Amino acid sequence: MNEVALLRSLLAIGAILFATGVIGLLTRRNLIVMFLSAELSLQGIAVSLVAWSRYHNNFGGQMLVIFIIAVAACEAAIALALFVKLFHDRGTLDVVAWQTLREENLPPHIDIEVPEPEAREEKWPELTPAGREPAPNLQQQRHRARV
Amino acid sequence: MFDSWETMQSLAVLVPALPLLGAVLTAILGPRILKSRAHWPVVLGLTGSAVAALCLLIGVNRQAAQGAFADDPASSRLTLWEWASVDPAMPAPAALRQASGTMAEAAAQVPFHIDITLRIDPLTALMLAMVTLVSTLVAIYSIGYMHGERGYWRYFSYVGLFVFSMTMLVSVSNFLLLYVFWYQKPAAAAAGKKAFLVNRVGDFGFALGVFLIWTTYGTLNFHDTKLPDGQAIPGVLGQTRLASLAASGADQEHDPDHSAPHDAAHAPARKPPAESLYVGGGWFGIGTAICLLLLVGACGKSAQFPLHVWLPDAMEGPTPVSALIHAATMVTAGIYLVVRCTPLFFASPEAQLVVSVIGGVTALMAAIIAVTQTDLKRVLAYSTVSQLGYMFLGLGTCTLIGATSGIFHLMTHAFFKALLFLGAGSVMHSLGGVIDMRRFSGLRHKMPVTCWTFLIGCLALAGVLPFAGFWSKDMILAAVHERAHEGGSFTLAGQSIFHWLYWIGTGTALLTAFYTFRAFFLAFFGPERFPGELDHPPHESPPNMTLPLAILAAFAAGLGVVCEWTGWFDKLLLKTPSLAFAAFHETAEVGFHPHIAAISTVTVLIGIGLAAFFYLGERTQIDRIAAWVRPLYRASYGKLWFDEIYDALIVKPLWILARLAYVVDRYLIDGIVNTIGRLPVWTGALLRPFQNGQIQSYALAMILGALILLGTLALRP
Amino acid sequence: MSDMPITLEAWLTQNAPRVLSYPVATLLVGVGLWLVLPRGRRGGRAVGAVLLLVGLGMLAARLPMLGDWKYETVLWLLGGITVVSGIGTISMRSPVYCALWFALALLGTGALFMFVGAQFLGIATVVVYAGAIVVTFLFVLMLAQPEGQDFYDRLSWEPLLSALTGAVMILLLSLALESSLGGTAAAELAAKSPTPQALEKGILAPQHVASIGGVLFSKYLIAVQVAGVLLLVALVGASAIVVYQRNPAAGSADAGQGGRS
Repeated sequence: MNEVALLRSLLAIGAILFATGVIGLLTRRNLIVMFLSAELSLQGIAVSLVAWSRYHNNFGGQMLVIFIIAVAACEAAIALALFVKLFHDRGTLDVVAWQTLREENLPPHIDIEVPEPEAREEKWPELTPAGREPAPNLQQQRHRARV
Repeated sequence: MFDSWETMQSLAVLVPALPLLGAVLTAILGPRILKSRAHWPVVLGLTGSAVAALCLLIGVNRQAAQGAFADDPASSRLTLWEWASVDPAMPAPAALRQASGTMAEAAAQVPFHIDITLRIDPLTALMLAMVTLVSTLVAIYSIGYMHGERGYWRYFSYVGLFVFSMTMLVSVSNFLLLYVFWYQKPAAAAAGKKAFLVNRVGDFGFALGVFLIWTTYGTLNFHDTKLPDGQAIPGVLGQTRLASLAASGADQEHDPDHSAPHDAAHAPARKPPAESLYVGGGWFGIGTAICLLLLVGACGKSAQFPLHVWLPDAMEGPTPVSALIHAATMVTAGIYLVVRCTPLFFASPEAQLVVSVIGGVTALMAAIIAVTQTDLKRVLAYSTVSQLGYMFLGLGTCTLIGATSGIFHLMTHAFFKALLFLGAGSVMHSLGGVIDMRRFSGLRHKMPVTCWTFLIGCLALAGVLPFAGFWSKDMILAAVHERAHEGGSFTLAGQSIFHWLYWIGTGTALLTAFYTFRAFFLAFFGPERFPGELDHPPHESPPNMTLPLAILAAFAAGLGVVCEWTGWFDKLLLKTPSLAFAAFHETAEVGFHPHIAAISTVTVLIGIGLAAFFYLGERTQIDRIAAWVRPLYRASYGKLWFDEIYDALIVKPLWILARLAYVVDRYLIDGIVNTIGRLPVWTGALLRPFQNGQIQSYALAMILGALILLGTLALRP
Repeated sequence: MSDMPITLEAWLTQNAPRVLSYPVATLLVGVGLWLVLPRGRRGGRAVGAVLLLVGLGMLAARLPMLGDWKYETVLWLLGGITVVSGIGTISMRSPVYCALWFALALLGTGALFMFVGAQFLGIATVVVYAGAIVVTFLFVLMLAQPEGQDFYDRLSWEPLLSALTGAVMILLLSLALESSLGGTAAAELAAKSPTPQALEKGILAPQHVASIGGVLFSKYLIAVQVAGVLLLVALVGASAIVVYQRNPAAGSADAGQGGRS
């Protein structure tokens, strides 16, 4: 196998993952999704590291990825604890809710249009009837409204 | 008995020291301890000083008669202490280098040397005697005049200081110290803003003159100085230079025969000796420049045209102060300066002409203004200006008789002008501060002593035989007349300028007599009318005010006769080293000129007669005349609009300049500074939108930064 | 890297593929990203996806071949899945879907690791990352957003700017890769690449986990210890944050009872 080609391919994949993660971090307003995008970036880096590890025939890259996983775990724990706290304060996971740390004369970011969720037809499942049928009501059956 | 040098030196120290001591004691003890007796230290000091000055005068007279001043002896100077001595300050100035022989080599590098030295010579002694005597009489008068005023002690303290500075001024032997005491006097007197400013202009000219003297002559001392290391520096008015003036004066052609008619066109031109150590140089030479600058200072101090505007407005102070300043002391400093520097002026005929012209113009102009003034003190003030003009007129001829007449007129003027001022003060005191002659008249019965002493003063001022003013004024006119016939290169319409000045002087004498007696008749004759707000009719002043009046009247009456008949004044004055050089003595001699005297007496009598005609009887004619000459009257009453002219020419432009400077400073400079100060604010305003509180905006900024780095790395060629 | 003067025409001919493909690819990627991001009610996501794929494909076409078609296919498959999952993570309108796509991305990277020979890491990624971390995310999501999504999930902050930034970033990264690893450098790199024999002795040794363990606990021992401490600290920190949130005054008293994690 062409090691250089393998290297380049993996590096390219890593780069694209990294860029994608950055875009997600910049764009999404949900705190959780922002964090997910950051983790995605981290995965891209991990891919690059493993690629270099393969090329250099050295375990160093893989070691770093192990530690990256460990650190990512810690980071996730702390981040989620913080998100829970933030959610408790404002009642929303929207990052735009936290913009008070700004200059006084600047306007806040306000959503101009708030998109409604798509109306989904609520189709509830139907159960087949179970159990015995009730006794017929002879009175009702014999009743004639008109003769 | 006063003629030993040691005694005279001690007296010379006492004369300024006693008033100073009195002033200091009054200042310290006056407010608390002495209170209404605060005058004693000063009055005693002044009296002692006057006695010392008289003794000094006697001693000097004796020594002069023996010819002791002929070679400017070192013992006629008392060096109190050496103020500054700086080693070679500059290379030998031009005048030194031009000198021949050993002096140039010896004084190749001139050190800067100032010491406080008091002079004892006839001019100084005469001035001291006059100043201290008049000041003492004024101080005694002030006891009565200032009785009960607030700041009694402060007033006397100032008087003492003032006399101290004046006596020091005439005693010092150095131009720099002269400037120090020259400047000190306005600080001691209660000067208004205008007085101070106009004096500053004069002081500025004086200072420039002193600088020029330093650069031209290399020293500021009057006398020859011997330094400890054997160097000799010839003084500006020292024996070395005067001797050179005398020695080369023999070259000058001079026709001693005065009786022959002289024609200005044929008479020999008067020029300074060729090889003297004094610098002349024509209209633009250094010598003329020095003299003119000194003249500017003298004009400022002695209130000559065009710097005369401060004198009449300085009448706001108490009358004794006016008497002191304007009669006896402050205004005479200018005259003293010009007389002391006669050798300098002798070297520059152009400067002499300027002096005389200014003097004559001032005399006439002030007399014109004084004719219509209604405030008695103002009449006297303008009269002072006019008489000072006379003195300058006389001094400008730079002849023997001219210099002598100037100083003589100074002395007589001191006495009779002080008399007139104190008399006016007496009138003011009894009328409750009113001095506008339109509001009162006919005081002669209520205040006889004041009236008759005032009359004596008026007669002296007008110049009626045998009062003092007659002799002095006559001598001045004679000097001018002689100078006109002596010839020279300054002519106007065929006659020497001095000829025109002579007629101006005579015309001014007429006007002087007129306005003086106008004031006298208005105030003391006519129906008895007193200002309404008085609660009791005016009465004569107390003896401590009338006694000085009487003493001054005696002087005004007798001084002229005494001096002229015995002739001691002229002989004494001419022994002064500055005036003793032989070339000077070649010029017109002092003597009595009957035809001049006759013309001036006739003029004066005409003036008195006119005044009597208009003001003694009914006063209707004067109103008709005034209606005819309305414009002239208004010009005279408006002080020839000098204040308005100065205001428009000088004050307004300066005010506009100040306004402009204010606008530039406030809007332009402050604008620039504020704009620079705003720069951080604007930079902040530019950068502030980046802090919008949105996390993703910050993240974007970081990513963009990283991208820039990445781009730099990626796109390297 | 040539310092010989060269005519523009020759340079263009030589570099035409690169010069032409990059701007086009970047443009496609940028537009595609913009279309794909959640922008409220506006649609066009399918078109965006297609554009993205085309653009990324163009970029990927510049990559050299591996040599063996089998490996090439597997690589492209795995890489494609990973990349697509990544795009999916950021463009879903429901955060739960984002998490799920992220899990798929993790599976893809895990597979890539295994493809390269780092089996331990592959498994570790799946187990720890996808198994624990993503699950924790989903827990928090369920706590905070019982409906599963909210209005702000359908909006983006400055999608245009972000798409542009992303495209430029991808472009620059590709250029950097190309300039440093492609062209003339490829030969040098190829000379230095390990031979299969070396690989057998190195990271492709049969006892993979033992090798990793051997290196981990000899050369990187301190790092391991530090990582352990870090984990402990993170645990304590997370607990502290949550406990203080509930009852700030009585934080120390409630240490035993603790709060929900």
